[in-house]
Amino acid sequence: MTLNRRSFLARSAAASAVLAAPTLLKAQPAEYVFGASLPLTGPFATAGQLVAPAFAMAQRLINEEGGIGGVPIRFVTEDSGYIPQNALANYQRALATEGDALVAYFGDSTGFMKLVAPELKGDQARLMGSTSFASELANPEVNPYQYLAGPSYEDQFDILLQNIANQGGSTVAFIFSNTEFGRDPIEHGKKRAEELGLKVVLEESTKPQGADIPTHVTKLAQSGAEYCLLQGYVTGVWPQLIGGARQFGLPTKFMGTFWGMEKIIADRVTEQAGPFLDGYQGVMPYRYFYDRADAPRYETFAALSKEMFVGTPLENYMPTWTIQTMCAIEIAVRALRDTAEKGLELTADNTAESLNAISDWDMGGYFGGPVSVEGGKIGTGRVYTYGAENGLFTPSSDWFNV
Amino acid sequence: MINGNLKATYAADEQVLNNAYKRAFVYGMALLCAALPFVANDYIILVAAQMGIILIAVVGVNVVIGYTGLLSLGHAAFIAIGAYSIPILHTLFASLGVPEGIMPFLAIPLAVAISALVGIVVGLPSLRVKGLYLAVATLSANFIVIFLIELDAMAPYTGGFNGINTPEANLLGWQLDTQREMFALIAALAFVTILGVQNLFRTRVGRAFIAIRERDYSAEVLGISLLRYKLLSFAISAACCGLAGALFAYFYARILPEQFELVLSLQLVAALIVGGMGRTMGPVFGVIIVVMVPELLKYSFGIIAGGSADVAALRAPVQEIVFGALIIIFLMFEPLGITQIVDRGFRSLNRWPFARG
Amino acid sequence: MGQFVQFTLNGLLAGTIYALIAVGIVSVYKATRVVNFAHGYMIMFGAYFYYTFAVLLPGLELMPSWLAKWEPDWLIAARENAPMFSPMGAVLDWVSNLPRIIFGITGAVIACAILGRMIERMLMRPMIGQSSFAMIMITVGLISVLSGAKGLIWTADAAFVPHIAPNAPVRFELFGNPVFLFGADLANAAIAVILFTAIVLWVRYSKGGVAIRATAEDQQTAYSMGISVPAVFGRAWVLAAATGAIAGAILATRNGVSPSLGLFGFSVLAIVLMGGLDSYVGVFIAALMVGFLEAMAQWQLGGEWAEVVPYIAVLIVILIRPHGLLGQKEVERI
Repeated sequence: MTLNRRSFLARSAAASAVLAAPTLLKAQPAEYVFGASLPLTGPFATAGQLVAPAFAMAQRLINEEGGIGGVPIRFVTEDSGYIPQNALANYQRALATEGDALVAYFGDSTGFMKLVAPELKGDQARLMGSTSFASELANPEVNPYQYLAGPSYEDQFDILLQNIANQGGSTVAFIFSNTEFGRDPIEHGKKRAEELGLKVVLEESTKPQGADIPTHVTKLAQSGAEYCLLQGYVTGVWPQLIGGARQFGLPTKFMGTFWGMEKIIADRVTEQAGPFLDGYQGVMPYRYFYDRADAPRYETFAALSKEMFVGTPLENYMPTWTIQTMCAIEIAVRALRDTAEKGLELTADNTAESLNAISDWDMGGYFGGPVSVEGGKIGTGRVYTYGAENGLFTPSSDWFNV
Repeated sequence: MINGNLKATYAADEQVLNNAYKRAFVYGMALLCAALPFVANDYIILVAAQMGIILIAVVGVNVVIGYTGLLSLGHAAFIAIGAYSIPILHTLFASLGVPEGIMPFLAIPLAVAISALVGIVVGLPSLRVKGLYLAVATLSANFIVIFLIELDAMAPYTGGFNGINTPEANLLGWQLDTQREMFALIAALAFVTILGVQNLFRTRVGRAFIAIRERDYSAEVLGISLLRYKLLSFAISAACCGLAGALFAYFYARILPEQFELVLSLQLVAALIVGGMGRTMGPVFGVIIVVMVPELLKYSFGIIAGGSADVAALRAPVQEIVFGALIIIFLMFEPLGITQIVDRGFRSLNRWPFARG
Repeated sequence: MGQFVQFTLNGLLAGTIYALIAVGIVSVYKATRVVNFAHGYMIMFGAYFYYTFAVLLPGLELMPSWLAKWEPDWLIAARENAPMFSPMGAVLDWVSNLPRIIFGITGAVIACAILGRMIERMLMRPMIGQSSFAMIMITVGLISVLSGAKGLIWTADAAFVPHIAPNAPVRFELFGNPVFLFGADLANAAIAVILFTAIVLWVRYSKGGVAIRATAEDQQTAYSMGISVPAVFGRAWVLAAATGAIAGAILATRNGVSPSLGLFGFSVLAIVLMGGLDSYVGVFIAALMVGFLEAMAQWQLGGEWAEVVPYIAVLIVILIRPHGLLGQKEVERI
C-alpha cells in the first residue's frame, strides 16, 4: 500500500481523532458546518452559479478524506445577490442557528468582507475566506480571521505594471467599476506606476454593469493610452469595452485581473462577437484547469467532475472562479485539520493561527510550486495571454512572487 | 374603528390607549419585548432588532405619507444621515475629550437633529410641488445624499465607498456590545417613538397635518400655515428616520452607503402600505410582514433546497415578486392595510353573535 | 475645443435615447394621468426580449441556420477581401446578422406590447377612478415584480447582442482634435428621433392620437363624445411598451444586457418631470440637456458625477418652475 499525501492525511486525521478523542469529546459536535454566501442572483450570478458546485465537490472530497479530525463537514450555501448586507444577514443567521458547529465561512464580495470584518470578534468570529482579493483583507493585525487564497488586487496590479514596464510601455489607463471591488487597487496602482516611470493618462470609473460603453471608449481613445488595465468586472462591461475599442481600431493593449480572466466568458465573447479578445492579457494566481500536467489535485477534480457534473459546463472544465473557491476551501480545511491535530478547539483564534502558520505547502498544482500563507495571503501569480484561435489562456511570463 | 367602546368621562376619552384591545396589545407587546432578551435565541433577537430599527423609520414615514399626505420615496436618505452622524460625532467627541459613557446621550439627539434639519431642506420642494413631483424630488434627494456620502472628497469623514466602522454604544459605562443588549435599547426607543407619534396626533400640530392631507388649500384657508406644517412634518419624520439610522449604526459594526439606497426607501413605503397608512398600528403590522416574509421564504426555501444551489437561486427573485405583489394586492384589494383587516376582525368579535361584518 | 465637441456629441446622442424612453412615460401620463415608475423595468424587459429573440432563439437547433447567421456566397466572398475590424467588415457583419436583428426587434416589440397590454388590463384598469397615489404606488410595486420575474426567466446574465446598425467607426478632425463616434450610435440616435417625431405627429394628427389628447383633456367629456376611454388607455400602454422595447434593444446593444437597465427609468423620470409631464417638446429639450450635462460631467468630473446629473437638474428646475420647463400648470378647484 502506497502512502501518498491524501491517504496519509486521511489516516493521520483519523489517528489524531482517536488520540485526541477524550479531550475533545465535550466540545466536538456531530458535524462541522462550513457556511457560504454566493451571488447566485444579481449582477454576478453567472460567477456564483459556476462556483456553487465547488461546495458539493468539496464536501464529498473532504469527507472522503476523513473530514476534520474524523468529524464530517457540511457545506451550507446561501444566496446573497451580491448585496453585502444580505451576506451579513446570512452570516449572522448561520452564527445564530449553527453556533459552535460553524467553523468557517466563505464570503462573496469585497463589500461583505469589509462589512463583516469589525463584527468578527469574540464568539462571533469565524475563519473566513472569500471570492475577494481586496488588499485590506490581507492584514492579519487588523483582520486576523480573514485570508486571501491568492495575491491581493494590488499585488496583481503590481505584476501587470511590472510586466508593462518590462515590455517598454510608457502610458497606461485604468478603467474600473465604481465599486469597492473596482476601486481597491487604483490608488496603489497609481503610486506603483509612478515608481516604474509609467504615466497614468486616464482613470475612468464606470458602472459595474450597463456602463455607457461609447463614452468610455471615446475617453480612452482621446487619452491615447498604450495599455489599459481593467479592474472590478466579472462577466460584463470589460468585453464590451474591448470590443468597442477594437471596432474603433484602437491599438490599446488591454489587461485584466483575476475576475476578468475566465475562459468561459472569453470563449463566449469570441463566439458571439468575433475574435477581438485575441491578445488580451491578465494576471492569474492559479493554473488553468486544462494545464494539468503536474497537478495531481486537478486530476482528482477532473475525475470527480466527470462523475458529479454530467451535462453541465463543469463536466470537463473547471472555471478559474471555481478553482479559487476550491483553493480557499482547501486552505481553510488545512487550517482546521492542523488545529484539530494539535488537539485544540476549532475556535477562530486557534484556526487563524494554524492558517498563518501554513508554509511550504504543496497544494497539488494550484500554484507554480509549494506556497506559504504570509500576511494573510498567498503572493504568487503569472501573466497569461488569450488566443482567440484555440480559446486558451497561455502563460506569457514566469511565476511572480510578490 | 372599534364599536362598543363606551366612554363615560372626558378623561377616558382622552387616553392614548382608549380601549381594552389597545391596552392589551401595548402591555402585551411591552411584556414580550422585555422578556425577549432573556428567553429568545440569537436568531430571534437578530430579527427582532432589525424589525425594531425599521419600525422606527416606518413610523416616521407614516407621519409624512400617512398623516400629511406628502408622497416621499427618499426616506432612506434620512436613515443614512442618522447612521453616518454617529461615527462622525463619536470621532468629534473623542477629540473634545467627552467621556465615552455619555457619548450616545449626546450623539443620538444630535444625529436626530441633523436628520431633522436635512429633512427640512429636502421638504422644501413640497411647498411648491405636490404628489408626483414631490415623489420624484425626494427620490432624487435620496440619490444625491448617497452620492455625497460616496464622494471622494467626503471619504475622510464617511469612508466613501468602503463604508465606515461604527462605535459601540456605551451608556454610562454599560457597554452594549451584544445584539441582546442593543435589542433592549432598540425596543425601548421604538416604544417611545410610537407613543410619541401617536400622542402627536392628539395635538393641534397633528390635526393640522391631517387637515393638510385632506385638502391643503382648504387647510390654508382655515389658517394653517402650509409652510410651517409641511416642513414640520418632514422634520418629524426625518427625525424618526435619523433615530433609526443612529440605532442602525450602533447595532452593526460597519455601515456602507449602498445599504441606504432606493431599495430601502421603497421597503419603508411598502411596509406602510401593507400595514395601513395614517394609522398608529399600520407601521407595526407592516414591518412584521415586510421583515417576516423574507425570513419565512428563506426558511421554507432552506427546507426545499436542502443545500441545492439551483433552488436557492430562485429565492431572491421569488422574494422580490412577493414583495411587489404585496404592495399591489394591498393597494387593489385592501388599501387601508392590515389594520383594517384587524379592525374588521375585532368588530365582528365585539358584535358576535348579534351581527356579522 | 475638440474634446468639447466630442463630449457634446456623445451627450446629444445619449440624449436622443433618453427622449425615446421618455416618450413612453409621457404617452401613458397624457392618456391615463398615471406616471409609470416601472417604465425602466419594461425597458429592461424589452432588452431581454431582444436578447431572447436575437440571440437565444436563433441559436436553437430547430431554427433555420440562416436566422442565426445569414451567409450567402457573395457575403463570404466579400468578407474574405475585407480586413478584420475595418468599416467594410463592420457593415458585412451587420448584413449577416440582419435576419436575427429584424427577428429580434419584431419579437421584442410584440412581446413587450403584450406585456404592456397585460399590465394595463390586470393592474391599471381595475384602478380607474382610484386615487393617483394608489395607481403610482402600484407601478412602484410593479418594479419589484418585474425585476423578480426577470430573475426567474433569465437566470444568468447575458452577453452580446447584435448591433441594430453597422457599428463602423466614424472619425474626423475638428479644430485640430480628433473626434470619435460609433456608427451604431448615430443610427440609434436617428431611429430615436424618427420614432419620437412620428409619435408626436401621430398624437397630433391621427384619429387615435386625437382620442388620446381628448382623454387627457377631460375623461368624462371624451366618454360622452363617443371615445372609448379604456381603449385609449390600452393604446397608450401598448405604445409605451413598444417604444420601450426599441429603446431597450438600443440600450442592450450600447451598454450590454443587464438588470441595471431598469435604473434608467428613474433618471428618465427625472428628465420627464424636468421637461414637463405633458409636453413632448419640453421633454425632448430636457432629454438633450441632461444628455449634454451628463457628458460634461463625465468629461470634467468623472463617471460618478454623471449618474447624479439628472437628479440635481430636476431638483433645480422643479424649484424654479414647479411644472417643468414646458409643462402645463394644473388648475385646482376647491
